[in-house]
Amino acid sequence: MLLSVITLLPLAFALVMLLLPEKAIRPVALLLAVVEFALSLLLLSSFDKGSPAIQLVEQIPWVPEMGISYFLGLDGLSLWLVLLTTFLTPIVVLGSWTAIDNRIKGFHAALFILQTSMIGSFLAMDAVLFYVFFELSLVPMYFMVGIWGGQRRIYATVKFFIYTMAGSLMMLLAIIYLMFACRDTFGHMSASLLDFYRLKIPFVAGEFLNPQTLLFFAFSLAFAIKVPMFPFHTWLPDAHVEAPTPGSVILAGVMLKMGSYGFLRFVIPMFSEAAGYYAWIFIFLGVVGIIYGALVAMVQPDIKKLVAYSSVSHMGYVMIGLFALNTYGVTGSLYQMLNHGVSTGALFLLVGMIYERTHSREISRYGGLAKALPIFTILFVIVTMSSIAVPMTNGFIGEFMILMGTFEASRPFAIAAVTGVVLGAVYMLWMVKRVFFGPAGELVKDEHHPLHDLSAREIAVMAPLIVLIFWMGLQPNFFLDYSKASLDHFVKNRDNYRLVISPAVPSSVEHVALRGEQK
Amino acid sequence: MNNPTELISLRELLVVAPLCAMFLISLIPLLIKPLLGGREPNPISVLVWNFLAIIAGAGISAALFGHSFVKTFAFSNAIVMDGTSVWMSYLVYFVTAVGLMLAYDHVATRGRQFTEFCFLMVSSACGMLVLIMSNDLIVTFIGIETMSLCLYILVAMSREATLSKEAAFKYFVLGSFASAIFLYGIALIYGTVGSTYLPDIATQAVKLITTNRVFLVGAVLIITGFAFKVSIFPLHAWTPDVYQGASTPVTAFMSTAVKAATFVAFLRFFTSEAFASSPHLLSVMTWLAVLTMLIGNVAALMQNNLKRMLAYSSVAHSGYAMVGLITAGFGTNFNAAATSLLFYLFSYAIMTLGTFALVAAFEQSENTSLEVNDLRGVGRRYPWLALSMTVLMLSLAGIPPTLGFFGKFFVFSSAIEQDMYWLAFWGMINSVISVYYYLRPIVVMYMSEGEAETLPMNLMTRGTVIVTALLIVLLGILSSPLFKMVQQSVMNQF
Repeated sequence: MLLSVITLLPLAFALVMLLLPEKAIRPVALLLAVVEFALSLLLLSSFDKGSPAIQLVEQIPWVPEMGISYFLGLDGLSLWLVLLTTFLTPIVVLGSWTAIDNRIKGFHAALFILQTSMIGSFLAMDAVLFYVFFELSLVPMYFMVGIWGGQRRIYATVKFFIYTMAGSLMMLLAIIYLMFACRDTFGHMSASLLDFYRLKIPFVAGEFLNPQTLLFFAFSLAFAIKVPMFPFHTWLPDAHVEAPTPGSVILAGVMLKMGSYGFLRFVIPMFSEAAGYYAWIFIFLGVVGIIYGALVAMVQPDIKKLVAYSSVSHMGYVMIGLFALNTYGVTGSLYQMLNHGVSTGALFLLVGMIYERTHSREISRYGGLAKALPIFTILFVIVTMSSIAVPMTNGFIGEFMILMGTFEASRPFAIAAVTGVVLGAVYMLWMVKRVFFGPAGELVKDEHHPLHDLSAREIAVMAPLIVLIFWMGLQPNFFLDYSKASLDHFVKNRDNYRLVISPAVPSSVEHVALRGEQK
Repeated sequence: MNNPTELISLRELLVVAPLCAMFLISLIPLLIKPLLGGREPNPISVLVWNFLAIIAGAGISAALFGHSFVKTFAFSNAIVMDGTSVWMSYLVYFVTAVGLMLAYDHVATRGRQFTEFCFLMVSSACGMLVLIMSNDLIVTFIGIETMSLCLYILVAMSREATLSKEAAFKYFVLGSFASAIFLYGIALIYGTVGSTYLPDIATQAVKLITTNRVFLVGAVLIITGFAFKVSIFPLHAWTPDVYQGASTPVTAFMSTAVKAATFVAFLRFFTSEAFASSPHLLSVMTWLAVLTMLIGNVAALMQNNLKRMLAYSSVAHSGYAMVGLITAGFGTNFNAAATSLLFYLFSYAIMTLGTFALVAAFEQSENTSLEVNDLRGVGRRYPWLALSMTVLMLSLAGIPPTLGFFGKFFVFSSAIEQDMYWLAFWGMINSVISVYYYLRPIVVMYMSEGEAETLPMNLMTRGTVIVTALLIVLLGILSSPLFKMVQQSVMNQF
């Protein structure tokens, strides 16, 4: 029941939002989002760290004629992504307290629908159910950008919607193909991932027109657009720049991870031969993405656009880590997904805070902000450090493991990727220098509009993120322990990946019971 | 065959009882009108009488045939009552009832001739019922003609002065051509097979289609006739003009019920494996489907008039339905393909009905032709209508978890099951193209300011929009029961 509650509760919250009077919406939304987060923390206690099996499973037939079921399950790959989603939502609600000032009813309803669809995509163990949540997530985001966005919001949102949908439709064809493949192999149609893993799909190395290669690329296209991997990234800067702050946070923080999670959950385990054979393409494009994203970020005059391109660069790391196909790489990738969610989310929030004060994001109009806004500066610098992977922050752990994994898999690519780390430091620190230090810029010295440092609310928004940056940087094992069993299983059995449903009783409880009997 | 000397038996009359009951009751308001001295009776009473007619029809068919899907034949097997007939007739009753409600609300139709208007709409529905139940090409022809003749007049009966008359004339002339072609096809087939009875044709088609040119020409002519009615490329050109010219309630009725009924007859003609032995026919049909989808969607991209846009979108949807038809006709798993087609028709009818109801709700006078930009500000002023329209548009675009998504899902999965990847691939590409224009009304409703207004007197129209949107979401999430019912109705029926 727990997974269903966590998935569907936000949908009920969205309805509550529509029925509440305008005034009560923000506090109630915050309360509900916190309740949702607290509920999702229960996952940690009911999750068995030691088992790679999917747990807390719920399976109800949905369209039995086609073998589609409502099938939710949790394992080490999805656990932290679910928690990231529920963690960021209250922060977003609090962060948009003043930024969103019209149609707040619709905004919060959209936010909660988005939350359901994101959690649903991480928990779905049925391909069609996953597809439903995956596509559904476009709709609230489409409205978020389109209604509350900036100047070119309509262009950006339509591009975002069509681009992402174009990718996922080929995936739908591939899913349907696999459902019929299940019928031919097992005698009944099935959209369950567990059955998909068991399929043997013919693969011919070096040829394009064979089932596994085609399916591999059909799935990869959908997820590569979502990640976004170079050269499919062009929708991202548009969407990010036009999106309102909360939209950017959710988009960068969670929605991009739906793409990299797709590689982890679907592409690599289901098409292991093709994934191994074509891994170099993804590593290559990942490295290109890292360097290209960093170089483009360097010349951006707009802070938000800079952060958006830094996302392209960071997600490049996630991709090379995944396709290094070894323990370090994959573990680092999963960790980097969380890091990116935290640090880029925090950056977007900070950019949003300064934008609210000056209504400008142009780097050249700032300068000397450190004197005017000391608290803001401290927070910004901490988040910057996390983003450029300084040791003790979370970013370091992720990037370090990814580079170790890549080094193991392919040295030339690892060397190329390392230059990205330097470039990342360059564009972030240079931006920090131009915005916060040096002579006061025109916006900072404008005496008619003195700048106020962060309010208590804004500090409360940032505090959990800052805590997490250090916590994840200093104690990575607390987080990785939960995923270790799943990741090891993933890497070790990549060629013959299977998942089993763990019994309803967590095995630790069973052990206790057994021990009790022995006494 | 029944004993030819026997007169029409009671059992046979029962098969057509729903149809007869509906027709006879719908005559009552027409009889009342002269008794009132030619004065128009109260529109409400007209509406109530016609509703009674529809309820009688639907009730009788539910009572007699709703519980078991046994095939019942009548009139020398020319009429068949089976699961498909029952289910599709429910759809026709539903669409007709909604069409009447929309007509009652709409300025272009609720006038001096409302009585006649309603009668014609119900008669047209009778033609559709005949079409759905027909098991013989002659009966199919009668069904098509009854349906179409009423429609020609319905299109012209708008109070709008020019466009509707032009549309009616165009539709009439082109439709007559199509009927003549269809009839010629029947003649050629009768010449080669010696029968117009569909099962006879199906058994002989298997070998005749490759050996006998005359038969092939006849089949192609019949397909042409059907293609005109469901607006398949290259016979789709009338669709935008007629849909735009007709008053919106008539457009809603035409674009849903006509298409659904004709596709069922088309499916019966295309029965299991009859034409599967002709690869040429398959490739022609495949290209027609692909081009129909493409032309419909690409043309819809460029429309500013909402009704024209929806007309082209309905052309595109004919293409999607055609994918189901082709997999039924040329594939090996007829039941699955036919199920997916019928399910698609259900989903398409509900979505389209809702969208045209929204168009009707925002038309201020009989001469308005609603532009997409006229929906400005609906999001703020009519939040529920805007939300419903959003659901309808997303469903037409095939975004999950709406009914439209599952319609497409089942159609494309039956195409993939038959290894017709090409069709499925183009279907997907077209879904992407279509998203662009389906998003436009949503953009306009929510993201630009404006003063769109509906007339105060259209509660039923607004209700239709909201109810269809609700149905789409509910039936989308709970699509399994509907799918199962359609599947059972199709099972062993053809």
